[in-house]
Amino acid sequence: MKIQNGYIHLAKSALEDFRRNKVRTFLTSLGIMIGVLSVVLLISLGLGLKNYLKQQFESLGANLIIIFPGNISSSEEGGGLANFGAGFAGGANFDERDYESLKRSVEADYVVPLFMKSSVVESNGKRKLGYLMGSNEESFKILNLEILAGDFFLKGDVSARAKKAVLGYNLADALYEKPEDAIGKTIRVADQRFKVIGVYKKKGDREQDGAAVVPYRSTFGTLNPDKTFFTIYLGTINEDKVESIKIQAKEVLLKRYKADDFTVTEQSELLSTVNQIFNIVNGVLVAIGSISLIVGGIGIMNIMYATVTERTKEVGIRRAVGATQKDILKQFLTEAVMLSVFGGLLGLILSSLIVLGIRVFFPASINLFSVVITLVISSGIGIFFGVFPARRAAKLSPIEAIRYE
Amino acid sequence: MIKLENVCKSYFLGEEEVKAVDSVSLQIKEKEFIGIQGSSGSGKSTLMYLIGLLETPTSGKIILEGKDVSKLSDDDLSKIRNRKVGFVFQSFNLINRFTVFENVLLPTKYAKSGLDFDPVKSAEELLKRFGIYDRRNFFPNKISGGQQQRVSIARALIMKPKIILADEPTGNLDSKTGDEIINILEDLNKDLGVTVIIVTHESEIAKKTKRKIYIKDGRLAEKYL
Repeated sequence: MKIQNGYIHLAKSALEDFRRNKVRTFLTSLGIMIGVLSVVLLISLGLGLKNYLKQQFESLGANLIIIFPGNISSSEEGGGLANFGAGFAGGANFDERDYESLKRSVEADYVVPLFMKSSVVESNGKRKLGYLMGSNEESFKILNLEILAGDFFLKGDVSARAKKAVLGYNLADALYEKPEDAIGKTIRVADQRFKVIGVYKKKGDREQDGAAVVPYRSTFGTLNPDKTFFTIYLGTINEDKVESIKIQAKEVLLKRYKADDFTVTEQSELLSTVNQIFNIVNGVLVAIGSISLIVGGIGIMNIMYATVTERTKEVGIRRAVGATQKDILKQFLTEAVMLSVFGGLLGLILSSLIVLGIRVFFPASINLFSVVITLVISSGIGIFFGVFPARRAAKLSPIEAIRYE
Repeated sequence: MIKLENVCKSYFLGEEEVKAVDSVSLQIKEKEFIGIQGSSGSGKSTLMYLIGLLETPTSGKIILEGKDVSKLSDDDLSKIRNRKVGFVFQSFNLINRFTVFENVLLPTKYAKSGLDFDPVKSAEELLKRFGIYDRRNFFPNKISGGQQQRVSIARALIMKPKIILADEPTGNLDSKTGDEIINILEDLNKDLGVTVIIVTHESEIAKKTKRKIYIKDGRLAEKYL
């Protein structure tokens, strides 16, 4: 009761002061608010990006081996990370010959080449930016696609270079009144026309849902003049075979390319590399955000020094009626922490609103960790930057303080 | 009740050491009504702050109720000040951002070992006693000087102290209001048996006290000059 009474008095006294200096209180909290806002936003965007990538990978079937140009896992980890960006740009250009030789010599259940290109798809008088994916009939299995209407194309369609297309739900939905209406219609991509024979169900993956999948051979020509693939997937039903398939695939490719020109990796490996990169990027971003938190803390320290000077006489009065140095220290520290936490909460509320806003486009999320860290960091800053002014107040000589005008 | 033994208090003004209080020995008994008189700069306020334990002596001893308090920690001194001493100042020293009522209650917020009375009730009684109950929700700068000084006396009394120390309590008041304040302090001494020490440079006020102490250049003097 007694202690509670003491803290209520402290909080009330601080609130009273905030009420009298609304603008000053707001401006002081603003620094912390911006700091917390940037840190929380960066964390949630980072988390969102990570979730997004994870979703992308997980939408591919299990036991998937991915072959792509460039090298992300060369001997040393650091080098691997550094080469990641360059890896996608350079390296081998896979073509039908690689696809065929992999198909011949590797024990995989599925071998799926993938050509991918963002393209404007036209039909029904509408134009929509989507993706053109050139692949084979096994791609539907390996990508876990389920038919909504019509059919997938078949092996024969690939060899016959059939001008057939299977549309993603979102693309079909954007071009026609109902996605099912797409069946039998013709779409145009660049100068090529394809007949829609199927629409597959929504996957929750933006690229896949906005794609038109066509037989890869049908893209050869104006759409894919080099006749290359962006990546080749190998799938197996038997999980134990994953390692041996990887070795076999490497052997096949080494006959034609240098080790640094391609990467054979599993989904889980790739995911952990991506995670590593994002942890580093996130760390750097949060460190940058923290600078504004420190600046905010300095703002609080500055104002608290001014407050101590302004209330020197009050300190003297309180000491005369029995306040200890610790009581005075507590009073100013409470005020600094309240200012800081107030700013932190404002920042949290604002960043939650922003995250809610961007969720429409991007799976950003605020988790309990962000909330806890916000409160811990903002009260920590309040304590750290508040303790110096508060100590100055506590150390004032009561007599000099009382006489201060 | 309070005994000062050879108490000195000096401070430095640049290089120069100034003795504000110089070898003062003094005994104050319970229920006394004392006037400490001296000109400005004579050290009378410093003496008062030493008696009120707001200042610690450079040398010498202060003995309160048989216990040497001159070497106590800040916590202990604060506790004694809170329980046993009430201050009344020339410029009232109320906190302007708190109401009259909150100002009177302020010392109870620092009572470390609980209270044996209801602070709200006590504050109300004191405000009624001094005729300012209807001003309880006013802020100090919205009431007259005489009323402010009554508030500060109520604040000094809320913890039921043994001793009230008043530093030029009438200095900022007109003579009529000043007399009223002195009468209040006189009544407290008579009715409640509180030791009252008034520090003043006005002999008119000192005349009303029962015992007069003169101070000059930090030393006790036989007579006020």
